Amino acid sequence: MSDYSKGLSTKHLLGIKDLNERDIQLIFETADTFKDVLNRPIKKVPSLRDVTIANVFFENSTRTRLSFELAQKRLSADTINFAASSSSVSKGETLIDTVNNILAMKVDMIVIRHPYPGAGIFLSRKVNAQIVNAGDGAHEHPTQALLDAFSIREKYGDVAGKKIAIIGDILHSRVALSNILCLQKLGAEVMVCGPTTLIPKYIGSLGVKVEFDLLKALNWCDVANMLRIQLERQDIKYFPSLREYTMMYGLNKQILDSLDKEILIMHPGPINRGVEITSDVADSKQSIILDQVENGVAIRMAVLYLLAGQKP
Amino acid sequence: MNKLLFRSATLIHPESKFHNQVVDLLILDGKIEDIAQTIDVNGDDLEIINAEGCFISTGFFDLNANFGEPGNETCEDLISGTQTAVAGGFTGIALQPATEPPVHSKAGVSYILNRTSSYLTDVYPLGCISYNRAGKDLAELYDMKLAGAIAFTDGTSPINDSGLMSRALLYVKGFGGLIFSYPEDTSIAGKGKMNEGIVSTYLGMKGIPNLAEEVSISRDLYLAEYNESKIHFSTISCAGSVELIRKAKEKGIQVTCDVAVHHLVLTDEALSGFDTQYKVRPPLRTQNDVDALIAGLKDGTIDAIVSQHTPHEIEFKDVEFEIASFGIIGLQTALPLALKAGLSPALIVEKMAINPRQILHLPIPGFEKGDEVNLVLFNPEEEWTFEASTNKSKSANSPFINHKLKGKVLAVCNKKQFYYQQ
Repeated sequence: MSDYSKGLSTKHLLGIKDLNERDIQLIFETADTFKDVLNRPIKKVPSLRDVTIANVFFENSTRTRLSFELAQKRLSADTINFAASSSSVSKGETLIDTVNNILAMKVDMIVIRHPYPGAGIFLSRKVNAQIVNAGDGAHEHPTQALLDAFSIREKYGDVAGKKIAIIGDILHSRVALSNILCLQKLGAEVMVCGPTTLIPKYIGSLGVKVEFDLLKALNWCDVANMLRIQLERQDIKYFPSLREYTMMYGLNKQILDSLDKEILIMHPGPINRGVEITSDVADSKQSIILDQVENGVAIRMAVLYLLAGQKP
Repeated sequence: MNKLLFRSATLIHPESKFHNQVVDLLILDGKIEDIAQTIDVNGDDLEIINAEGCFISTGFFDLNANFGEPGNETCEDLISGTQTAVAGGFTGIALQPATEPPVHSKAGVSYILNRTSSYLTDVYPLGCISYNRAGKDLAELYDMKLAGAIAFTDGTSPINDSGLMSRALLYVKGFGGLIFSYPEDTSIAGKGKMNEGIVSTYLGMKGIPNLAEEVSISRDLYLAEYNESKIHFSTISCAGSVELIRKAKEKGIQVTCDVAVHHLVLTDEALSGFDTQYKVRPPLRTQNDVDALIAGLKDGTIDAIVSQHTPHEIEFKDVEFEIASFGIIGLQTALPLALKAGLSPALIVEKMAINPRQILHLPIPGFEKGDEVNLVLFNPEEEWTFEASTNKSKSANSPFINHKLKGKVLAVCNKKQFYYQQ
């Protein structure tokens, strides 16, 4: 066992970039404990009884917000929720003012989702509170990456040495970037696969393999993480139609069964059934999509618990 | 400024027989009274400036400065802007037309000329190419030229319509006008906010590829060649652009270009913390591009260095990177940054004083007896701190605020006016 007495090396969770391997292992081991708690008849611990957390969401979210909120409640924290469309905020009150107003009501920690990359980092420099990034544009979504890696670890015992293919819209995906960074820190090999127009030109600089052929990617990997096509984040058309996307990158049972090994299927949700993944694949025994959701609560409990311990 | 003696300055002025020599320079009533290796002169009214180790040259000229008047005077007005220019050593500036309303008519040009006629720094308004900078119809270019517009540009709104650019290049030829092209293909640049590269990938940001600039330069070079027109490219930023313009010059196309001084010392690595003070347009590129730009300056491909002074109030910079305004103030940091890029004082004078005036067909003020004085005195070795007390601009959007900079402007003279800072 490593020496975890010092807790996390960071005061905020802004991205996987800020975590070292020891931090990630510490989060995993803490999440193991909380996962046990979640399976008990009484699912609640008093750990964060004096902590107030605001979930500030400038972008639509269902599962991430619910997952954070549930994690906070299981830890006995007080929570408030604030949802605003970024457009109305950008026209009026600034982000700093919005958050400072919330903090004036004696809030300790901010969980923020924002459509702009770096919003959490910007905020962490400007306001006096701990910041947890719940997704900033196409930059990072650290808790998603942690729960994804945690789910792989749960199935395989270890992430090191595993081959993970991230398939879909890499260009607009914060999940992809955080996953790449997290999996690499844990010693996994990562490949990205998707339409040529949705793979950033310089993605290879992150040390990932790049593949444009779905079947080749699936044959290579142990785990396929199927990303959602995020039409709402595409300002222009990057491919002609969803139908054609599905023809090239949709994963169906026939393809899955044609592989010579059983791979795990992951998806950060929400699923577009019949687009990137068919229902029979999503609901197959190879799919760990719902395990990801369950683990999300435990991971977020671990993150909040550990960060609260970092308070100055 | 009645009687002034600069003692022991090194003159940089290729036309003068004293070029590259240490001289004494005597100024009387705004004119050069005498220039010689040593001048013996006395008198109660004589002010002597010891300029040992310093360089004297024709005052700097900036081809690309933005102020906020009319419309955004709170970020910079004509008075604060020109005072900033003076402190940076500039005796002349070409003022961008991106105001509110934009300078797209004779009235706009005249307003600026009337307001600034008595200032130390000569202000030459640039007129818009298109009405309202909308990129659709030509503005009244001839009328603006008659009123005093020195050249034409739509600022950082690129002319996407190839036909419009072609007509603009052709039309101004009829009266000796000059078009400044800001090269960016916006359909390729998209909503990018920084350079496309390794850093943008790591930050999850959409990037503006070099391609957006290079495609635009290629197009405009074809248009200039076809129309047998002159063209000037503003603030090129990519290695590929330097190469395209180098080849065009070899081919005989009448092309000139400039580079913003911050592109000589900064790369996109500076953005890794989402610091909006480094958000500029064109975006900061890579070290490979920086090296190519400096090589382009040295071999003559790039004619001029500009400040691209772009003031913004703090509210437009102290926000999320995505919505922060592009641009930084640069008039006072131009000289120190050019020195930091490793350029010699002689090359800096060529790119910041001589060539900009040549591009605009303006006379180059000289250092012969009887000449009207137009000069800058600077010490390339002296350090100073760029901070609230030394910043003359109304805005403070610069990544160099609170930085110690090497290379200081000590004195500026023009139009019988004299500026001196200790």
